[in-house]
Amino acid sequence: MQEFTWPGRTAETELALDLEKAALRREFEQRLEECGTLAFRIACGVLRNTADAEDVAQEAMLRSYRRFARLRDRSRFRAWLVRISFRLALDHGRCTRRRQQRETAWATDLPKPTAEDIAASNEFARRLQKAMRALPEKSQLVLLLTSIDGHSLEEVAELLQLPVGTVKSRLHSARKQLAEKLR
Amino acid sequence: MTCDKYENALLLAAASNDELDAKLARHLEHCSTCRMTLRSERELFSRIDRTLRAQVNEDPPSAFLAQLRLQLSKELTARSGWNRVWHVAGAALALILIAALYPLVNARQSSVQGNLATPTIRVAQSARITQSARAREDFAVRSRHHSKHPAVQGAAAREPEVLVPPDEQKAFVQFVACVAGRDAIAQAVVTRAANKTVNRNTELPQVPSVDIADLQLGRARQEEWINQTGSSE
Repeated sequence: MQEFTWPGRTAETELALDLEKAALRREFEQRLEECGTLAFRIACGVLRNTADAEDVAQEAMLRSYRRFARLRDRSRFRAWLVRISFRLALDHGRCTRRRQQRETAWATDLPKPTAEDIAASNEFARRLQKAMRALPEKSQLVLLLTSIDGHSLEEVAELLQLPVGTVKSRLHSARKQLAEKLR
Repeated sequence: MTCDKYENALLLAAASNDELDAKLARHLEHCSTCRMTLRSERELFSRIDRTLRAQVNEDPPSAFLAQLRLQLSKELTARSGWNRVWHVAGAALALILIAALYPLVNARQSSVQGNLATPTIRVAQSARITQSARAREDFAVRSRHHSKHPAVQGAAAREPEVLVPPDEQKAFVQFVACVAGRDAIAQAVVTRAANKTVNRNTELPQVPSVDIADLQLGRARQEEWINQTGSSE
């Protein structure tokens, strides 16, 4: 099928548009590996299930790709993707049926160094997961981001576009609340 | 000092992993309970961090990026396909709209042109003819025309029949009544004009009982009579 051309557009205009699209695609693909992993890890941190996290990360990347051309400041892409992934993962996690499946799957998916540690480790992971869910969303996100790839407070502040002090106080408050619930 | 006073400081120290406060450090040297508490709290926070890191730093499956690239390619293909469909559909819709609206616009334009030309001609003709038959016939034709074509009717209703300044409306009524011999028509014409200038002059002119002048008067006499009426206002 021949490509449709608007009456007002010349072949040069069409070519320029195609080139622009191709450049955008290349730019996006350059970020794909690094950002895809980040999206997956955020989703995994919220959902605790690899299969679900994969779906959510794919969806987040597709959404960000659809709107990539409209993003004015490309340096904020990571921050933007973090928010999309986290939001999508939270929405995904709210489905009760999937949550039940995830809990059972997670219990069997955890790495188990010794047979004796299995029960204790799984129990602690479950309690931690439950305690995390009870935290406010903004605290959850800060905890996740500081745990992923050993991000520093400055990096997390940049990702969330927040002052470092705010991130630090949220992190401290979140850890304290977790400890209270797990003590 | 009791150990309770150090409770918050202990938790803070365990959570932050910062260096201990001098006072707290001194206290810990002597208090084994607080040392135990600090150790267990630090162990708890460390375990939380370890578990969280283990959970969230899992690498995606090896096929993840390949699948992602595949999805992106599909997305790109689907979007260009849909773009093509939308372009064709949009062009078709535009053509249909143009075809549907062209006759209406054309009819409206011809009607407006006709309406702009008619009133002055009609009044002038009426003045020359000095008989009401032609004016009545003309008015009847126009009324039928408007009522049969709704689109034209709307346009015609919006167009002024004759623009008359408010202070000359009374005289104009008398003039039209005089030349056409129909005071009802004259009143209708002026009423329509008055409705349009409602912002400037909300009071409709009170038309007195119009004396229908002799229709057989000569034109010079007629104009003289109109001038007299106008100057007396």
